[in-house]
Amino acid sequence: MPVIEAEHLSKRFGKKVLAVDDVSFTIEEGTITGVLGPNGAGKTTTLRMILDLVRPTAGHVSILGSRYRDLHAPATRVGALLDSAGFHPGRTGRNALRVIATGARIPPERVGEVLDMVELTDAARRRVKGYSTGMKQRLALAAALLGDPEILILDEPANGLDPEGMRWLRAFLRAQASEGRTVLVASHVLVEVEQTVDDVLIMGRGKLLAQGPIARLTAGAAPVVRVRSPHAEKLEQLLLQKGAAVNRVETALAIRGPSSAEVGELANAGGIVLHELLTEQASLEDLFLQIAGTRRES
Amino acid sequence: MTGLIRAEFLKLSSTRTAFGLFIAALAVSVLPAILVMSLVPRAALSDGGAAIAASGLTIVPLLAVVFGILGMTNEYRHGTITYTYLTTPRRGIVMIVKLVCYGVAGTLVMAATALLVVLAIALIAAVRDIPLPWLTTANASDLETIRNAAMFLLTTGMMTAFGVSLGALLRAQVPTIAGVMVWALAIEGIVAIIKPRIGMYLPFAAFQQLTMGDALNVGEASGLLALTRPEAFLVAIAYIAVFSVAAVFISMRRDVT
Repeated sequence: MPVIEAEHLSKRFGKKVLAVDDVSFTIEEGTITGVLGPNGAGKTTTLRMILDLVRPTAGHVSILGSRYRDLHAPATRVGALLDSAGFHPGRTGRNALRVIATGARIPPERVGEVLDMVELTDAARRRVKGYSTGMKQRLALAAALLGDPEILILDEPANGLDPEGMRWLRAFLRAQASEGRTVLVASHVLVEVEQTVDDVLIMGRGKLLAQGPIARLTAGAAPVVRVRSPHAEKLEQLLLQKGAAVNRVETALAIRGPSSAEVGELANAGGIVLHELLTEQASLEDLFLQIAGTRRES
Repeated sequence: MTGLIRAEFLKLSSTRTAFGLFIAALAVSVLPAILVMSLVPRAALSDGGAAIAASGLTIVPLLAVVFGILGMTNEYRHGTITYTYLTTPRRGIVMIVKLVCYGVAGTLVMAATALLVVLAIALIAAVRDIPLPWLTTANASDLETIRNAAMFLLTTGMMTAFGVSLGALLRAQVPTIAGVMVWALAIEGIVAIIKPRIGMYLPFAAFQQLTMGDALNVGEASGLLALTRPEAFLVAIAYIAVFSVAAVFISMRRDVT
C-alpha cells in the first residue's frame, strides 16, 4: 500500500531555479527507500514538499492519504530529520526534545526513551552548543523518533558521522525497518545507502531519473569492466576513442560499453600491460553514473 | 492549542533570553532608581521628585520589542522553526500563539520590574525619611494610578507582540533589531520635529503616548502635539493588527528552506 504519493511535483525558486521538475513516485509501506542524487538534484526540496515546508509550484503530494498539514497529530505519524532543522544552542538536549514533545502532545517519558535509543542519555543535560556534529545528528534522529512514527523521512542522516557513527546509523535504519516503519532516506553518498535500502529514487537536476528496487535496477544495467593498469591513462584515451564510458581513479578504470574481451584486445593492440581485468555486475554507483551520463548526453 | 502554548513557555524558560530581558529591564530601571534615591539630596526628592527615580521604566517597553524580535528571529536563526512547523503545520495558529505568549511574557517582566522599582524606591525613601505622597497617599487619584499602571503593562505586552510580528516579517535578527532601534530612537524623533502631525501617528510615538498619557498631551501651544490616550490606543492596536496579520499571512505562504 502506498504511503507517500507524488504526482507531477515541481518547484521553482524565483524565475531561474527549477529545483524539482515534474516528479512522480510512490513509496510503499514498510520499505526503506533511498532518494539518491548529487547535491542540487532536488532531493531536499522534494522531502520538504512532502512535509509541507515548501509549497509546490505545480503538482500534488500526499502522505498517509492526505496533505501533511491535514494529518491529525502529524508528529506522531511522521518523523523527520532535515538538514536545516536545528536546536537552540542554549537549550539542553533534553529540553530541546521536551519542547517538541510538549508541542506535539507526546508524553514526556518518551523523551528519555528516545535519548536512550540514540545513546545520548549521558549528554542530555548539556547544552546543545557543546555537542559534536555527530551528537547533534543523533539528537535530530531522537527528535524524529519522538512520536514513534509510522514513517521516517531522513535527509542526509550520515552528515557529520564518523565511520563508527555510519555503522551505527545503518544498524539503526535496519532496526527501524524491522519494526515495520517506512523509511525515506535522502543521500548523496551512494555506498552508504546501497547497504541499507530496498528501493531507490534516483534524481538529477530536479528530475526523477529512475525508480525501483536496487536489485532490479542494477540487473538491468550494463555490466562494468574493471581494469587496473600502470598505463591506465593511455588505455582510457583508447577506450574513449572507441566510444566507451570510462571512469578512472589513478590506475583503476571502470568501463561501461565494451566487453572484457574487447577491452583486453584493445589493450593488447596498444601494448598496454594489464594487472587486472574482470567483469562485474553494476553497483548502485555505476547505475547512477550510467543513468546520469545517459541523461546528460541526451 | 494548549500543547503549543505550553511548548512556547517551555521555550522561554529553557533558554536565557527571557531571563536576559529581565536582567536588562532591572539594569535600566531598578539600578537607576536605587542610585537616584540613594545619591540625590533629600530635598530634591521630596514633593514628588522621587517619581523621576522610576523613569527608567519607560525604557523597558523598548526592550520588550527587542525581546519579541529575538523570540521570533531565533526560530529562523537556529532552524527550530522547522520543528515548530512539523509539530504544528497550521502556521497561523503557531503565529497567534507566539504573539499571545510573548505578549504575556513581556507584560509579566514589566510587572515584576515595576514592582521591584517601587519597592526599591519605597525602601530607600523609608530609610532616608523622604515623603512619597504619590506612593503612600490614598486619594481619588488611586483609580488613575491603577489605570496608568495597567496601561503601562498592556502597552509593554503589545510592544512585545509587535516585536514578534516584526521578527516574523523580517527574520534577519541583527538588521531587524538595529533597524527598529534606529527607527524608534532617531527617525520617529526627526519626523516628530519636522512633521509633528505625522510624527504623533508613528508606532513608537503611539506606544509612548499610551504609556505617558496626558503628560504628553500638553497642547499645540507648547509645540508638542500628542494623541489622547484612547486615540493612541487605537493607533497602537491598528499597527499591531496590521503587522500581526501580515506576519501570519507571510508565515503561512513562506517556504521553510
